[in-house]
Amino acid sequence: MTTQLPLVDVTDVRKVYGKANEKQYEALHDVSFKVQAGEFVGIMGASGSGKTTLLNILATLDQPTSGSVKINQQEVTRLRGNQLADFRAKEIGFIFQDFNLLENMTAYENIALPLSLQNVSAKKARPVIEKIAATLGISKILTKYPTEISGGQKQRVASARALVHQPSILMGDEPTGALDSKSAKSLLDTMTTLNQEQQVSILLVTHDPFSASYCQRILFIKDGQIGQELNRGEQSKAAFYQDILGVLGRNEQQ
Amino acid sequence: MGVLFKLSLTGIKSRFKDYLVLFSGLVMAAAIFYMFEALATNNSFIKANATFSLAPFVFQFGSVLLAIITFVYILYANSFLLSMRKRDYGLFMMLGAKSSKLGQLIFLETLIIGALSLLGGLFVGVGLTTLVGQLLISRLDATATHFTGFYLPAMLVTGVFFLILFVVAALLNQRVLRKTPVLALLKSAAQPVHVQVKPAKTIGQIICGLACLAVGYVVMRYIGSLQILGIGVALVTIVLGTYLVFNSLFTWLLARLQRHENFASHGLNNFTLAQLNFRIFDYNRMLAMVTLLFALALGAITTGMGFQKNIKVYTQSAPYDVVLHDPTTTVKQAAAKIDIKRQNHYTYKVGANVVYFIRDQFDEQPLNAQKPWRKNQVAAEYQSIQGQQMTANSELRWQQSLQTLLLPQDSQKTVKLVTAATFDQVAGTTQHLTTIVAHDFFSDLPAIKRVTKLDQQRNHVPATYALGTTKYDMYQMMNGLLSGFEFMGFFLGVAFLAMLASCLMFKILSGAANDRLRYRMLDKIGARQRLLRSAIAKEIGVLFILPGVVGVIHVLFGLQIFTTTQLLPNAYHDLWLPFLIFLVLYSLYYLLTVKLYQNIVLRK
Repeated sequence: MTTQLPLVDVTDVRKVYGKANEKQYEALHDVSFKVQAGEFVGIMGASGSGKTTLLNILATLDQPTSGSVKINQQEVTRLRGNQLADFRAKEIGFIFQDFNLLENMTAYENIALPLSLQNVSAKKARPVIEKIAATLGISKILTKYPTEISGGQKQRVASARALVHQPSILMGDEPTGALDSKSAKSLLDTMTTLNQEQQVSILLVTHDPFSASYCQRILFIKDGQIGQELNRGEQSKAAFYQDILGVLGRNEQQ
Repeated sequence: MGVLFKLSLTGIKSRFKDYLVLFSGLVMAAAIFYMFEALATNNSFIKANATFSLAPFVFQFGSVLLAIITFVYILYANSFLLSMRKRDYGLFMMLGAKSSKLGQLIFLETLIIGALSLLGGLFVGVGLTTLVGQLLISRLDATATHFTGFYLPAMLVTGVFFLILFVVAALLNQRVLRKTPVLALLKSAAQPVHVQVKPAKTIGQIICGLACLAVGYVVMRYIGSLQILGIGVALVTIVLGTYLVFNSLFTWLLARLQRHENFASHGLNNFTLAQLNFRIFDYNRMLAMVTLLFALALGAITTGMGFQKNIKVYTQSAPYDVVLHDPTTTVKQAAAKIDIKRQNHYTYKVGANVVYFIRDQFDEQPLNAQKPWRKNQVAAEYQSIQGQQMTANSELRWQQSLQTLLLPQDSQKTVKLVTAATFDQVAGTTQHLTTIVAHDFFSDLPAIKRVTKLDQQRNHVPATYALGTTKYDMYQMMNGLLSGFEFMGFFLGVAFLAMLASCLMFKILSGAANDRLRYRMLDKIGARQRLLRSAIAKEIGVLFILPGVVGVIHVLFGLQIFTTTQLLPNAYHDLWLPFLIFLVLYSLYYLLTVKLYQNIVLRK
């Protein structure tokens, strides 16, 4: 492709669980791939394939046994303590399957949290928060508490919180997993818009082919290794969906 | 039962640290209770030591108060226990354990923990009692021969009391678990946690609360004339006022702070405020109770130490430090060791019903005579009068003052002042009376004690004679009377503090498990560890400071009861010492709670 440096550069990442003298289990085996800035990439795999381990390592929530992970040219596997916290706070936006909103704070306060952590003044934060809320269509529920809004709205609030500090990359761990199909579709459409119009780089982990069909490129992970890669190219979403199903079917039979 | 029992044991093992906290709290509660019982009811200790005659009553009163607060404490400790086990129990039920079997398990678990902590408590209690007993004995300047920390009846009382408490706790636990659906047990963390407050209601409560407190404070000022009614009114208004203030004023203040955007948007402040807002609403009854206990505990320590000051006041009021009757060389040598400020020598003769003094001697060396009592006078006051002033008119003033200086067998006789010539003609042997005033009674106390004992031996005065009016006699009497109060105040204060701080600690820690998710989420979005730790320290700090501040205000007003009734006229003097002691202990509890909370919440 181009000579541009990749946004995410994963090289020979291994993750082994269990201590040296115990029974060991290799969750990731020499995983390598790259993600360019502005891409919308999906990582697919069945339960136990290692996809969540991979995402946790990418999100700096977990560390690989060996190998290198560079995000924005920075080696993240060597970050510790405050550096690690600051890296998470500045470079990564994370959406969880179960929203992970603080239920004792309003939607607005939840979204403001990453900015408060960087000590952005309340005055500067307000327009930023209002803008991202408008983009995600949640301007009207900003004063509500998480218990007062629907699952779809909660995930939009979580997305706003993940994006408000303009991270290098947005990562999602089954973000549509807890949503009904209508809310899921709506959220995925919004993510596509963010990716295409605002060049937000997105990395999505999912086992759901419908969610995956929104991506431009899909990495299939099986037994801790990346087995196959699928590019959407100029295909329609429906055609891409069929392709994904095909790959999944073949994987099942092997 | 077998499998469940094993499961439950592994559950305990995995949270051993948390159980250790609970355990040590219960052990201390039992130990302190035992100490009070042992000191209050140990007859061989009391009978052998005449000066302690008031101690048992005082300590018995203390142990009743302690029993009440221990009961409350056990309930909170128990709710902490339950909060740790809820999820496990829910899991057992989901796996198909019958609720009756589970009930037995809970019952057994609570009782085992209770029995173990009771044993530990008795063990620690014996040590504590020995230590405190020795301290008390040396403080009272007495020699107790029959004192040991081990006292069976006190052990039985403590044992029965705690077993009853734990059976009640076990039954309560069983009930709570049977009434809670399985899903609620499994998801006990997911509760609605924000609170809507109506402004009008809040303002009303703030006004009512502050008004109640004001009434209570004023009533305490006039407790002298209102008597028992005043105590009743103060009790009701202050309890109610404290509760209302916590329910309204503090939530209102927090809401104000939350609206203050520059403050709220800094770091994790908004999160801490949200946490506190919910907590204070959930904790208001608890915080009000802690406040009142805080006031009681601090009050007990302050008044306890105030009684110590009273000993000084009463002692200082006596005119002479020591009085010698016909001192031998040994006595004189011993007396020379005192750093003497003023020393008077008088001669007297004892007749059948009359004691004769020479009037001229009092012109040269005036007598310190007691002034007539005025209203509201705390201790006796003295003035020096000369021989010429000691007329029949002022007889009341000098007659008795002189009598008290004489030996017991002479102190009922009439004192007559005569000229030197008349004195020579009166029948009887000439005796010598020496009054000594030291520069500093308390620094010369050992020497004065020795001289007093020698004088008593010389004149065959029984050691139990306690009607003298020297500083040493006063000191002996007041020390015996008030040191009991002092000690009780101090230990009751510390015991109360230990209990109330533990209640607060357990209440806060019971919520810690629910907060784990929140803090983990903050960690995931990139909050630094230090920020998380300081957020926890701030949140718990506010929960400790609020009852502390309100409690101190209660005490400052409450001490009026003691000044207006003249029980402790100097109650407000040197307040810093008891307050400092209290502050240090309270801060230790705060630090412990923060540490434990951080361990539970930030554990990876």
